[in-house]
Amino acid sequence: MSFTDIMKSLSDGFSVTLMIFGITLAASLPLGLVFTFGSMSKILPLRWLTKFVVWVVRGTPLMLQIILIFYGPGLLNWDLKFSRLNAVLIAFIINYSCYFSEIYRAGLESIPKGQYEAGQVLGMTKPQIFFRVVLMQVVKRIVPPMGNEIITLVKDTSLARVIAVTELVKAAEDIISHYANIKVYIYIAVFYLAFTALVTWLLHLAEKKLSYYSV
Amino acid sequence: MKKKIAAILASAAMCLGLCGCGETSTSSENTPADASNNTSSTADAAGTSGSTSGDASGADWDYIKDKGELVVGITYNMPMNYKDEQGELTGFETEFTNAVCEKLGVKAKFQVIEWNKKEIELKSKNIDVIWNGLTVNEDRKKEMLFSTSYMKNKQVTVVKAENKDQYPDTASMGALTIAFEAGSAGEDIVTGDTALANCKQVKSEAQKDALLEVKSGTADACIVDYTLAKAFTKEGSDYADLAVLENITNSDEEYAIGARLEDTTVIAKINAAMDELANEGKLAEIAKKYDLADALLVGGSSENTSGTASEPVSSVASEAVSSAA
Repeated sequence: MSFTDIMKSLSDGFSVTLMIFGITLAASLPLGLVFTFGSMSKILPLRWLTKFVVWVVRGTPLMLQIILIFYGPGLLNWDLKFSRLNAVLIAFIINYSCYFSEIYRAGLESIPKGQYEAGQVLGMTKPQIFFRVVLMQVVKRIVPPMGNEIITLVKDTSLARVIAVTELVKAAEDIISHYANIKVYIYIAVFYLAFTALVTWLLHLAEKKLSYYSV
Repeated sequence: MKKKIAAILASAAMCLGLCGCGETSTSSENTPADASNNTSSTADAAGTSGSTSGDASGADWDYIKDKGELVVGITYNMPMNYKDEQGELTGFETEFTNAVCEKLGVKAKFQVIEWNKKEIELKSKNIDVIWNGLTVNEDRKKEMLFSTSYMKNKQVTVVKAENKDQYPDTASMGALTIAFEAGSAGEDIVTGDTALANCKQVKSEAQKDALLEVKSGTADACIVDYTLAKAFTKEGSDYADLAVLENITNSDEEYAIGARLEDTTVIAKINAAMDELANEGKLAEIAKKYDLADALLVGGSSENTSGTASEPVSSVASEAVSSAA
């Protein structure tokens, strides 16, 4: 297999990796906030339910969740069925929403009470205080821990291969086992490194842009 | 106090949740067993009348026909299903499947699966048949319905060519690290042979990964299908530095197609199409193309075919009975 053929196969796999990464990130960033509201809610049953879900999702391996979501409905004879990629996306979105929600909660709880009180003194409504005063400060504080999770997500996409979704690692393994070409592992390492370098740089830019208080 | 009550309530809710799961899983476990009981009683009239559960025999076939496609579970596995240099799927099973599906009037859709999850893929209806050099064995008969066996196979040992004279039998391999595909017939050999009881086992995800273990030196030997070993180690290939040993005894096996237990119609239809292809000589033609003609069990000669042609129904019936027992 020539180098161009290998690169073509790997790019196909990489596009699946990118798609899982992009869709998961786009969906779980807002969904995580919903989970945060749930886990900080004054309505007790809702709070318990959210905390229970977060506990289950964080307490079980993502790999297991992917397998259960994909094979579970069929084995229980439900009509509901997901395609392989959709099952992966659902598992990733729920999983990452839970992790993000805890980071958001840490961010929210780190905002001093005085900020809320100042808003009230100025006659702002609750949503106004949240969106105009609190949220931007939260965003600023959670960039480093979010960066951690986002970079982990890049590499976690390789779990999709447990239900035979051909992402980058699976694409590489198919080539390697057929042509005994170990170099392919190095190629995909470069793919991952290049992509995480890009993500790291974007996160750095975000952090710099948001550090408007420092001189 | 409030917190304590909350904790108690939460744990009660969890218990309820768990019980609920337990019930549903047991009832779903019962279903295949019921179905196989039904098939055993109706297997003689395979595909003609409905079974007792009201789930008419033929339901699975109707399901496939309505979709218009037969989803075939495969792994990339030379010479059965593999990608050629242009990235096109090809191989003996690929052509065989396409030919049978043409007779059945449905489209073949090839779905790559993880081999050790093939039973779960089949039961959860993510694939309709397993058709990838699937070895017939007693354990698998409890999980799926087999077609007529169409090809002979055996398990062989693959080692580095320079070591090939050191292992005349499995007894000489007792202290080795041996790789095999998890859930494969090779695994049964390693776990079943007392001479190999003390060897180190490496459970690979696919047969070709087991070969890679040997090539890279992380395992001393691997046990894989003869057809695959032969295709991979032929001269000029990347694995030409490996040698195939035929030192395993009691390893005669047959390949067949596996379908869901619930419905005998699917297998009956596939068997009929296979017989037609065999009679036309088409099957032998495909086998010849992939250097597998000597392993073919159906369509080799005309008397042979007529002998196997009468077999499907009775073999299906006996399998169904044995799985119900």
